[in-house]
Amino acid sequence: MARLRRAIDFAGRFRGILAFVVVFLLGIFFAPVSYKTGHSTFLNWSTQNDILFEYAEYGILAAGMTLVIIAAGIDLSVGSVLGFAATLFSLLVIALGWSAPAAVVATVLAAALMGATSGVIIARFRMQPFVATLGMMLIARGAAKWISGGIKVQPGAREWYAVQSGNPAVFDWMTGSTRLLGLRPITMVFLVCIVVLWVLLRFTKFGRHLYAIGGNEEAARLSGIRVGAVKIAAYTLCGITAGLAGVCNASRVTLGDPGEAGLTYELDAIAAVVIGGTSLMGGKGGMFFTFLGTLIIAYISKILSLQGIEEAPRLMIRGALIVIAVLIQQSRKE
Amino acid sequence: MRIIRIASVLFVLSVLSVLLVAGCGQKQQASGPSLPRPGGPTTLGGKQFVIGMSQCNLGEPWRVQMNADVKAAAAKHPQIKMIFKDAQNKTTVQQDQVKEFVNLGVDLIIISPKEARPLTRPVADAVAAGIPVIVLDRKVEGDKYTCFIGGDNVKIGEEAGKFMVKLLGGRGKIVELKGLMTSTPAVERHDGFMKGIEGSQIKIVFAVDCHWLEPDAQKEMASALSRFTEPGDIDAVYAHNDPSAHGAYIAAKNEGKGREKKIKFIGIDSLPHEGVRYVKEGLMTATFQYPTGGAEAIENALIILKGGSVMKNIVLGTRVFTRENAAKGGEAL
Repeated sequence: MARLRRAIDFAGRFRGILAFVVVFLLGIFFAPVSYKTGHSTFLNWSTQNDILFEYAEYGILAAGMTLVIIAAGIDLSVGSVLGFAATLFSLLVIALGWSAPAAVVATVLAAALMGATSGVIIARFRMQPFVATLGMMLIARGAAKWISGGIKVQPGAREWYAVQSGNPAVFDWMTGSTRLLGLRPITMVFLVCIVVLWVLLRFTKFGRHLYAIGGNEEAARLSGIRVGAVKIAAYTLCGITAGLAGVCNASRVTLGDPGEAGLTYELDAIAAVVIGGTSLMGGKGGMFFTFLGTLIIAYISKILSLQGIEEAPRLMIRGALIVIAVLIQQSRKE
Repeated sequence: MRIIRIASVLFVLSVLSVLLVAGCGQKQQASGPSLPRPGGPTTLGGKQFVIGMSQCNLGEPWRVQMNADVKAAAAKHPQIKMIFKDAQNKTTVQQDQVKEFVNLGVDLIIISPKEARPLTRPVADAVAAGIPVIVLDRKVEGDKYTCFIGGDNVKIGEEAGKFMVKLLGGRGKIVELKGLMTSTPAVERHDGFMKGIEGSQIKIVFAVDCHWLEPDAQKEMASALSRFTEPGDIDAVYAHNDPSAHGAYIAAKNEGKGREKKIKFIGIDSLPHEGVRYVKEGLMTATFQYPTGGAEAIENALIILKGGSVMKNIVLGTRVFTRENAAKGGEAL
C-alpha cells in the first residue's frame, strides 16, 4: 500500500512532464502535414522555434508570476504593466529616439516600480493581493494611455517623433534569428528569465523564504523571516518580468499599443503557472513546472491553430485543461 | 486517492477530446502524417488549390459576413479548399497565422489584417516564399503584397451625403452619430459626407462619437432628443454604421413622442441581418453597403492561381438599400 502511494505520489509529482510528453506526441500525430513537402508541420525545428518565440511573452510573465504565487499571492496587473512597458519602450525608441539599452533599462525600471508599489501596498498595508493588483492593473493601463495620448506609438504617428518611418533597429534585432540554433533574442529572454528565477528560487535564501511564506505566513514571520521585504521583492521581480515582456511585445508588434498590448495576458500567465502544477494556495511548485506549463499551453494552442480549429472549441479545451490541472492539484493535497 | 485516479481519467479524457477535435479537422485533409502526400493536393485530380484565410476578428458581424462571402464564393469552385483562421483581435496571433500558412505550404493566403504595420513583414515574408497574398479591407504598408481589395469610405460617405440632400430637399437639421473618430473609416465617412452635403442647406446640429457601438448611440441620441425637443428640430440622423442608426431609432422610440416615425435614419454597412433588415422593416430609410470584398477575393485568387495577373489595388463600389429596392439586393452606385 505504501509503495502504491509512493508510486502515485511519484506520478503526481511528474505529471507536468507526463502531460508535456502526451501533448508533444499529440503534436506529432495530429498536426497537419505540409502541402508542399509532405512532412509534419509540427516536428521541425522551424515550428518549434516559432512556438518558443510566439509564447515567450506569456512564459516571461509566468516566470515572474510563479514567484508571487509560491508566496501565496497573485498579480493581476502583469498584463497591463506589459502594455505600459510596451508603450513606454516604443515611446522612448520611436518618439524620443533613445538608444535601445537605455530604453530597455528605463522601461524595466518603470515596470519594477509598478511591481514594487503593488508589493508595498500588499505587504505594508496588508491589502489582499487580488485587490491591490486589480487596482494596479487599471492604473498601469491608464498610465499607458496617458503617456501615449491614447494613440498607438508607431513611426510617423505624430510629427515630432524622432523616427518617422521604418522599424527602429532594436525591433528587428529582437525578432531576428541569431546564430545560436536560430533562436530569436525574445526566446532567449524567456529562457534566461526561467533559468535565473529557477536558480533564485532553488538555491537562495530568498527562494526558501518565498516557499516558507506561501506555506504558512505566520510561522514564517515567527521564525524571523522578513515577510514584508520578501513579498515586496517578489512583486518587484514580477514587475521586472512584465517590463521585459513589454519590450518583447513592442518589438514583435513593431509598435506600442496602449489599449490592447497585454490585454488578458495575466490570465494566460496564471494558467501556465497552474497547469505546470504550482499551487495557488502557495508554498508548492517551481520554475521548471512553469516552463512546462507554458510549453503545454503553447503546444496545445499551436496544434489547434495549425488545424484551423475554431475559437469556440478552442476556448472550451483550454478551459477544461485549466480546471483539470487544478483538480489534480487539489487531490494531491489530501 | 480515488480522486487522483478520477482526475487522471478526466485528464486523459480531455487529452482525447483535443485529439478528437484535432482529428476531425484532419479528416478533411484526407490523410495523416503516416500517409505523406508528396507534392500536395495540387497534383491530386488536376488542379486543387488550398487557400488560407486569416481574419483579424470574428467577433464583428461585418467580418463574419466577409468570411461567409469568401466561403460562399469558394464553394462554387470545387477545386478550392479553404482553411479559415480567426486571430481573435490579436495582432501577434495573426502574425503567427500567416507564418503557419507558409509552413503549411498553402497555395494562396487571404488576409484581412488587424493592423497595417505589424503585418507588413509577415505578408512580405509569405510573398518572398512564393505564396501570393490578397489583402482585404485594411492595407499593409509598402507594396510587398499581391493584391489589395477594399471599399472606399470617402465615396460611401459622399453618396450618403448626396442621398441626404435629395431626401430632405436640400434643407434640414441632422444629427451625426460618428464611429470611433480615432479610426480611419470614421474620419473618411465623415469627410465624404461633408463633401456630399456641400452647398446644401443641411446643418449638422449635433455630432458625437459613438465608437461604432449601439448602446453608445442610443445614449447620445437620447441626449440629442432632449436638447432638441420640438418636432422639426431633427429631420434626420446620419450614423456611421447601422447599429448606431438602429440605436438612434430605439432612443427616439423610447422618448415616446412618436418622433421615430418623423426622423429619417441613414446608416452604413448593409449587413443582411442588420442594416438591410432594418430598412426592410421600415426602421431605417437607407443603408449604404460597405463591401466585404469576399467574393472578389476568391475571383482574383483564382486568376492568380491560374497564372494570370490582377490589378494591384482594387477599390470596390457601394450599393444603396432602400425600402423599394432592398428585396432586389439594392442598387449599385
